[in-house]
Amino acid sequence: MDRVDATEHFAQHAQGDLPSLLVLIIDINPIPWTTNPLSTALPFNTALSNLLLFLNAHLAFSHTNKVAVIAAAAPRGGGAKILYPAAELPTDTKGRPQSRPPQPAPQPGEPNKYRPFKDLEEGVLAGLGKVLASVNEEDDGTDRTVVSETRIAGALTLALAYINRLAGAGADNLGQTLTKGTGTTEAGTMQSRILVVSVAGDVASEYVPVMNCVFAAQKKHIPIDVCKVAGNSVFLQQAADATGGVYMKLDAPNGFLQYLMMAYLPDPAARQHLVLPTQANVDFRAACFCHKKVVDVGYVCSICLSIFCTVPPDNICMTCQTKLAHTVGGMVVRKKKKKKAGTATGSGAGTPTVGTPRP
Amino acid sequence: MADSDDEYIGSSGDERGKRASNSRKQKGAGDAGKERWEEIQRSWDNVVEGADGSISAAVVGLLEQNKRKRLLKDTTPLQRGIIRHLVLVLDLSIAMEEKDFRPTRFLLQLSHACDFIKEYFEQNPISQLCVIGMCDGLAKRISDMSGNPVEHISAIRKLRANGVEPKGSPSLQNALDMARGCLWNSPTHGTKEVLIVFGALHTCDPGDIHMTIKAMVQDKIEVRIVGLAAQVAVCSELVKKTNSGSLAGYGVAMDEKHFRDLLMANTTPPPTRQANTNASTLLTMGFPSRFSNPGHPTLCACHSNPITSGYMCPRCMARVCALPTSCPACSLTLILSTHLARSYHHLFPLANWVEVARHDVKKRSPKLCFSCERPFPKLAALPPSSTVAATGDLATKRTSNAPVPGVKAVPSISSTGRYACLDCGKWFCVDCDIFCHEEVYNCPGCEADPEGKEKRQREKEALAAKETAQTGQSSAAQGDAMEIDG
Amino acid sequence: MSGSLQSFEQLEALPPATFKKLYQEPCTTLALFRRMLPNLAKSIVMAMLYQDDPVPMSFINAWVKPTSRREKEMALGKLRRLCITSEKNQKLTLDATFKASFREALTGGSRSFGTPCTTEDKHPVTVEYLDNYATAQWEAILHYMVGTESERKPSEGVMRLLVAGGLMEKRSRRAEITQAGFSFLLQDANTQVWTLLLQYLSMAASLRMDHVEILHFFMLLGSLDLGQAYSKAGLTPTQLNMLEDLRDYGIVYQRKSSSDRYYPTRLATTLTSESAALRTVQQGFDAAMSQSGQGFIVVETNYRLYAYTSSPLQISLLAFFARLSQRYPNLVTGKISRQSIRQAIRMGITASQIIDYLTVNAHPQLRKNTPVLPPTVVDQIRLWQIEGERMKATPGSLIRDFSTERDYRETLNYAEELGVLLWRNDQKRWFFVSRHEQIADFIAQRARAQAAKAQGRA
Repeated sequence: MDRVDATEHFAQHAQGDLPSLLVLIIDINPIPWTTNPLSTALPFNTALSNLLLFLNAHLAFSHTNKVAVIAAAAPRGGGAKILYPAAELPTDTKGRPQSRPPQPAPQPGEPNKYRPFKDLEEGVLAGLGKVLASVNEEDDGTDRTVVSETRIAGALTLALAYINRLAGAGADNLGQTLTKGTGTTEAGTMQSRILVVSVAGDVASEYVPVMNCVFAAQKKHIPIDVCKVAGNSVFLQQAADATGGVYMKLDAPNGFLQYLMMAYLPDPAARQHLVLPTQANVDFRAACFCHKKVVDVGYVCSICLSIFCTVPPDNICMTCQTKLAHTVGGMVVRKKKKKKAGTATGSGAGTPTVGTPRP
Repeated sequence: MADSDDEYIGSSGDERGKRASNSRKQKGAGDAGKERWEEIQRSWDNVVEGADGSISAAVVGLLEQNKRKRLLKDTTPLQRGIIRHLVLVLDLSIAMEEKDFRPTRFLLQLSHACDFIKEYFEQNPISQLCVIGMCDGLAKRISDMSGNPVEHISAIRKLRANGVEPKGSPSLQNALDMARGCLWNSPTHGTKEVLIVFGALHTCDPGDIHMTIKAMVQDKIEVRIVGLAAQVAVCSELVKKTNSGSLAGYGVAMDEKHFRDLLMANTTPPPTRQANTNASTLLTMGFPSRFSNPGHPTLCACHSNPITSGYMCPRCMARVCALPTSCPACSLTLILSTHLARSYHHLFPLANWVEVARHDVKKRSPKLCFSCERPFPKLAALPPSSTVAATGDLATKRTSNAPVPGVKAVPSISSTGRYACLDCGKWFCVDCDIFCHEEVYNCPGCEADPEGKEKRQREKEALAAKETAQTGQSSAAQGDAMEIDG
Repeated sequence: MSGSLQSFEQLEALPPATFKKLYQEPCTTLALFRRMLPNLAKSIVMAMLYQDDPVPMSFINAWVKPTSRREKEMALGKLRRLCITSEKNQKLTLDATFKASFREALTGGSRSFGTPCTTEDKHPVTVEYLDNYATAQWEAILHYMVGTESERKPSEGVMRLLVAGGLMEKRSRRAEITQAGFSFLLQDANTQVWTLLLQYLSMAASLRMDHVEILHFFMLLGSLDLGQAYSKAGLTPTQLNMLEDLRDYGIVYQRKSSSDRYYPTRLATTLTSESAALRTVQQGFDAAMSQSGQGFIVVETNYRLYAYTSSPLQISLLAFFARLSQRYPNLVTGKISRQSIRQAIRMGITASQIIDYLTVNAHPQLRKNTPVLPPTVVDQIRLWQIEGERMKATPGSLIRDFSTERDYRETLNYAEELGVLLWRNDQKRWFFVSRHEQIADFIAQRARAQAAKAQGRA
C-alpha cells in the first residue's frame, strides 16, 4: 500500500519487542548423568543451576517472556512430564483463580530476588522434586528397567501442545515478524522455540512420532534447538536441521553456561542478525528395517514404505506382509501395451520419469 | 409445472433423466413427497436460547462443533497409494466467469489450486503432479509432470499474468485424453489419478466420450471431480465407472469453504481399491548425503546451475541440487528419509478420540487437559445435552447433503468438552484434539506415558479374557491391518 | 508509544558517574537492561556477562551478520552511551559494576528488590481497591488538564509539576493546557506516567534531591509485586520524601503518611515494562481506568467514528480531533473531517499522535484487520496535516570542504553504510548527515592513519 510520504514528525519508534516463549526439555535419564565422563565434567546440580540461570536470563529480556520446562525420561511414566508451570488450580465457584498458597514472610534484611525469577526457580525445583520422588512409589508390575536411551517424542509432543495453547491455534511464528510495531499481544503473537538438553541417544522405535513432531514444528516455524551434552542422536540432528534450530555438541561440558548464553539465548527475532552455529553435514540417510544399518541405496516397499538393504526373502515385505512383485535389477518388467496414439516408451521404468509425456 | 410434483411421488423407474433419480436417491431420510429444494433450512433454527436466556452457550456449542466437524475422518489404517501421479484439470471455460464464488470462480479456482499444490506436495513428497486446462474446446497443458511444487505454482501464476481469460466450452474428452497421455509413462507401483474442477454444465467433445471412459477404466486411472455448478450426468458416470461404482469421488461445492474442503480432501492419499493389488513392488531408491563446498561451486547435473552445496547420488556420484528428484545420470530415485517419513501418518493414522459422556465425569476424574494443562470447563456451565443434540441433528442434516469424501457426518458433539484417547485413557481438551489430529498425528498421552498405556492395554486384555471365559465367544476380531476398501 | 523511548533518551544524557552509581543496584540494572537496550544489544550483553576477559571487536563483528551492520552499530552505540561497555585496544569490556549487579540480579542475593512486610496489615487492602485508587488519582490529574469538572482536584504539588513541565501554563487565574499538554493526553498511560516522573526528576535537582536515589526508587517500584505490602525500612530519606509525592500521582498507596508500609499500584508495577508488553497488563488496568475493558474505538472507511465509552475524559479527548454528533448511554458517534483535524493541528496535536491514539484504543473487532485502521483514513489524516505545511526541517550537519575526491568518496560511503546520509552534492563535494559524531570519529581516525603513514614513510 502506498503510504503518504515524508510526514514522519516523530522519530521512527522502535518496534516493541515481541514476547517470546521458551520451552526447555531436560533429559533426566540417570545413566548418562551419573557415569563418567559427564558426572565429573558437569554434575547434574551444576547443570541444573546453570539452566535456571539461563531461564532467568531469558525472563530478564522482557516482561512478557515466558518459560515452560518439561522433563524427558521421567522415571514414572517413562516419557515426559511438565515441570513448570505447575498445573493451574481450577477456578473456584466465583470464577476467580484460587489465591496462591500463603508464602512464609521473609525476615527483614534477608536477601531477596526478583519475584518472577524466584517463582520460576521454586516451581522448577518443586516439580523436579516431585518427579524424582515418584521413584519411590509402589511398584505396580510394569517393567521399569532404566535404559540408556531417552524417549523424546512425548516431551516434544507436550511442548508443541503447550505452545499451541499459548500461542493460539493457527498462530505462526513467522506471522509476527511481518506485523509492524502496533502489534497486539493477545494470543497469536507469541514467538516460541524449543530447547532440548539431551544426554543420551535415540530410541529407534520412536522414529515415526519424532518425525511427526518435527514436521509439525516445521509447519509452525518453531525452531528446535538441541544442546547435546553427551551421547549421539540422529533424530535430534535432523530435527534441528529441518526446523532451522541450533545444534551443538558440547566439547567442553564445563562451559555449559557460556554455551547456553551465547548460542541458545537469542530469540528468533535476534537470530536474524546473528551468525549461529550450523551443522555442515547432517546424516539424512535412512536405517534399514531389517538390520538397522545405514543404507545408501535401498529397496522401498511401495505399500508401507519400509526400507530394506537387500531384497527380502521370498519377496515378502516384513512389515506389511504383502507379496512384492518380482524385481529385475531394481526395475519392474512390464508388458508392452498397445497405445492409442503417439510413440511407445517401452518398458516402464521402476522410477518415475520427469520428462514430458506425449498424448 | 405444477403437476409434475404428483408424477414424482412414488414412481421410481422414472425417465426424467438420471439427474432427477440421483437427487431423489440422495434425499436419504427426507420426506417422501418433498423435493430437495422444498426442504428449507433456516439457519436461525440452529441458535437456541439456553436456560438463562442468552445464546452464548449455544454459540460455544456451535463453535466446538465446527472445530470437530472435519476431525471425524475414518481412521482405520487402510492401504493407501502413497506414490501418486495426479493430473489436475482446471476449467477455463466461459462458465467460470460467474461471480457466485468471490471474486469469480476462475480466480478462486486458481488460488485454491496453488494452495492445493502446496499441500499436496507437503503430504505426498514423493508424488508427481501435472496441470492441464480446458479452454475453448481444447485441452491445454499448463505444466508438465514433475515433483517440484514451485514449477507448478509459477506456471499457474504465469497463466494469470499472461492475461488468460476463461473462454469457450470445456471439453472433457480432450482433457481426459491428455491426462491419459500424461499418465501413460507412470510406473505401476504408483497411483494414477485425475482431479477435475468442473464449473460448466455441458461438455463439447470431438468423439464418443464413453470410449474414452472405457479406456480410462482399462488403464486403471481413477477420476475425481469437484463440481461448481450442479451435478452433471456424464461426470457422475465417469466417476462411478472409474472408481468401481462408488460416487464418493464426485462432490459439488455449495459455497467457497466447501469448495476448498472438497479440493483439499484430495491431498490425502486415496485408499487402494481391490483392482490394483498388483501395484506392490519393491522400489530401488537412493538416499544421498549432503555435501557442501563453500567457495568452490560446481554444476548441478539436473539444471547445470552452479551450486556450492547439494546432494550426491550414491550410485553414480552425480550432483543434484534439490530433492526429491531422479538422478539425471542413472535414473535412480533420490529421496531423503524425511520425505518417506512425511507419509507415515497416513499409513499409521492417529485413532479418533471419543467424547467423554456426562455420566463418566466424576469427582476424581482429571480436571486438566493432559497435554496443555488447561482446566476443563465445569459441567454446570455447559449447555445441557438436549440443546446440543438438537443443533447436532440439524447440522448433521446439512453436512450429509454435501458429503465431503471420507468424512462421516457428525454424530453429536461432546457436552463435556473432554475427549479421551482409547489407548492410553488420558483426557484432552478440544484444542489439543484438533491440534493432535491435524498437525502432530501423535497422541501426547501414548507418547509421554508409555507405561500407563501398557498398563491400560493389559487391563483391557485381562477384561477381554474374562469376557471370553464368560461368554465363550471370541471378542471382536481385530481387522487386518491392511484392510482394502472397496 | 513513540513518546516513551524519547523520554528514556533523556536518561542517556546523564553523566557517566551517575551511571556508575546507578549500576550499583541490581534492580536498576535489570530495569535499564530491559527498557533501554535494543534486542541485539541485550544478546551481546548476555554473551559477555559470564566471561571474565574482554572480548575482541573482531569477534563481535564475526558474530553479527554483515547484512545487519546497522543494527550492530546502533546496539554498540547504545551500550557505549549508557556506559555499559567500554572499548579499549579493539576489545570490548563490560563495565565491572554493571556485570556484578546484573549477575546478582539473576542469581539473587541482594536486598534491592524491595523488602516485603512481615507483619499482617490491620487494614488489608485488595488489588481492586488499589486499582480504583490509582484510577481515581490519575484521572483527577487528566480531568484537571482537560478542563472537565470533577470532584477531586489534584494536589498543589501535581499542579506545580504540570506547569513546570510545560504541560499547562498559568494564564490569568486558571491554568490552561498547552500544545505539549495535548500530546501528553493522547499518549498511553505508561508514557504519561514516565513523562511526569521524568519531569519530577528534573525538578528534583532544584529541590536538592539525589538523582540517583530517585531513579533507584523508580526502578525498584517497577519490580515490585502488585498487592503486596512493602515496608519502609531500607529506604533512604530522599525516597521517603518521594513516597508522599508518589501518593498524589496514584503510583503508591499509603493509608497515612505515617504508616510504615506502602502498596505499589498497577501504575508502579508496570513502570519498567515495554509499551508493547503493556497491552496484556493494560487490559486489567483499562478495565479499572475507563470501564471500557479493552479498546473501544471503531473507525470506518467512511471516516465515521464510534466509541463505546461513557467516560467524560475519553469523550473530551475524542472531541479534540473528531466532530462528535450523537451520544448514547454507552456509545458516542462522530465523524473525522478536514475541519476537525485541522483544528486539532492548530492546537498542536500531530497526525501521528492521533493515529497512535486511535490504534492503541482500537476495538478488538477492528484489531482483527491488518492494518488495524483503514489505510484510507490514516493517509487522509496525514494528508490533511501536510496541507498545512510545505516544508520539513531535518536537523543535522553539513559536511564539506574535502581536499581530495577520494576522501569525499570514502566518507560518503561510510555515511551511507551507516544510514545517516540525507543529501549529497557530488559536484560541490558536500553532504548532509543526521548524526555527525560517528562521521567525525571516522574522519579523525583516517587523518591519524594518514599522518602515521606519512610519518612512517618519512
